[in-house]
Amino acid sequence: MDLKEFLALEPNYDAEGQVDLRSLELVSDYDSHLMCAICHCAFVQPVRLQCDHVFCEKCLRSAITSFRSADPDGFPCPSCRTPTSHLSMSVPRLLINMCDEIQVRCPLATEGCEEVVPRGHVQSHVDKYCGYQLVPCPDESCDKMTRKKDLQTGKRCRHDYWRCSRCEEDVMEQDYEEHDKELCPSLETVCIDCGTVVLQRALKTHIEACPEVLSSCAASKYGCQVKIRRAEITTHEQQCPLVAIGPYFEAQNTRLNSLELTTRHLQQRNEIFEDGLANIRSTLVESSRIDSRRNDTAPAADAEESADRSANVFSSNATTYLLSLHESLREEVNQMSHALTDLDARASMSIMNECLRIKEDMAHTNAAVNSVRMQVQWLMNPRLHGTRTGAMRTNGTSTPGEARSQFTPSSTPGPSSAAGSSLGPLRPRRPSDTGREGTKL
Amino acid sequence: MGSQKRIAKELAELTSSPPEGIMVELADEANLFEWKVYMEGPEGSPYENGEFLVKLSLPTGYPFKPPTVSFATKIYHPNITNDEKGSMCLGMLRADEWKPSSKLSAVLEFARQLLAEPMPDDAVEGRIAEQYKNDKKRYEEIAREWTHKHATPA
Repeated sequence: MDLKEFLALEPNYDAEGQVDLRSLELVSDYDSHLMCAICHCAFVQPVRLQCDHVFCEKCLRSAITSFRSADPDGFPCPSCRTPTSHLSMSVPRLLINMCDEIQVRCPLATEGCEEVVPRGHVQSHVDKYCGYQLVPCPDESCDKMTRKKDLQTGKRCRHDYWRCSRCEEDVMEQDYEEHDKELCPSLETVCIDCGTVVLQRALKTHIEACPEVLSSCAASKYGCQVKIRRAEITTHEQQCPLVAIGPYFEAQNTRLNSLELTTRHLQQRNEIFEDGLANIRSTLVESSRIDSRRNDTAPAADAEESADRSANVFSSNATTYLLSLHESLREEVNQMSHALTDLDARASMSIMNECLRIKEDMAHTNAAVNSVRMQVQWLMNPRLHGTRTGAMRTNGTSTPGEARSQFTPSSTPGPSSAAGSSLGPLRPRRPSDTGREGTKL
Repeated sequence: MGSQKRIAKELAELTSSPPEGIMVELADEANLFEWKVYMEGPEGSPYENGEFLVKLSLPTGYPFKPPTVSFATKIYHPNITNDEKGSMCLGMLRADEWKPSSKLSAVLEFARQLLAEPMPDDAVEGRIAEQYKNDKKRYEEIAREWTHKHATPA
């Protein structure tokens, strides 16, 4: 059916005498799927939209009207907002049956009807069967309403006032029976315990004070099981040891309670401390593990350390972790500086050793070079002697060294003997060679 | 008439079994359309321990028109205006997104959820949203401070 056609239909609810199904008092809960999303009641005359969502006819009508005023096309489903242009008046029979089966109280409960009927039958109950349905008084001169059931005994007006013989109150005839049996304040009744006759309205106060009513000892909560007449309870309470000891129990109870409270507090605190301790411990273990790993191989440890760190950040307190990390890093730096000084010492030692060796070598080379120079000089001398006449003069100046030159040949037998044999006439010239003697020393 | 019945029904449901941290009453016993809602700041959010007074007003067209939610208690939140109105921006309450089938309990729960998780992309207070995105710590600090100042029950 088109939406327009639907709106054009004459609504058949809100008729005179129709029971408002939405305001009925429910006796039990119903399935939430049977609830109209608009009025939040079980469906009343349900209709179905294209999208399969079901609403009460009345609710949908008001939804469409209030929507139309805003925007003329494509009414969106109130549940899923799917644009709809068609609806179906027929919904599954099952749905209607389930809604009709919901148990409700008769709407005339205020008049006294205590009937509980299925919702589907409530209309006919009210129309036909309910004795509390109000109908106009059969007496045409009376404009009051009368209950249907009162008419069964004869069609006459029951709105005259009758005077109650006991309480002297004016009561309408239709209410007289009820008043006479239950409501009249002057009704008398018998106390079941002491047998005295009391007024009905005073019964409650009487029961509270009735000396015959059984009542329990004041110390019943401490285990005294005595239950005797109220008149005797005071004598019992004077003797009951549990009553005497009662205050002491009270004090103990409050003490116990406060102790329990303290214990709970302490337990909580203890838990907090234990948590903290566990955190600290895990951080320590973590950092020591990082340390040992770092000592193995530096680069591998670096990668793992970062992984460790990220894991650790989740688990433990970040600050403690950072502190421990800082500590371990400091240690590492210390170790490194130790190693550095060590290396430094070792390097300088080896340099020194090397230097000494080289120095010695150099001295040797120096000596060798000197001796070679000497020999060359010595070899060159005769030639110099031969070519230069002034050479003898130089010889004369060096005479004081002559005495020394006497033993030199023995110390250097090779060259001197060779020199001696070949250069015999030049022998006295040799001691002037001081460089060679220095080498010897 | 129909709307009043539904409102009364929802009110009865909300008072008999209120959602967590939410307490509902009528601002005026004679008027079903103005509600006072006391909302506790959700646990774990900077609004924790705060009690916010939220005003829920229902239009006469309810449930066909959306209700409006406003914070009477000052609150530092990207989705709630920082003026004396304290209007709250809720996606589901916009006229074109409102569905008559939405329940008020769902609206209130959604509002409380928004306290726990603000939606900075849908904000009415751009500055707070910016801060929420970039400097969450500072945002939480201020929100906590405001909660303490304005929303702490005496």
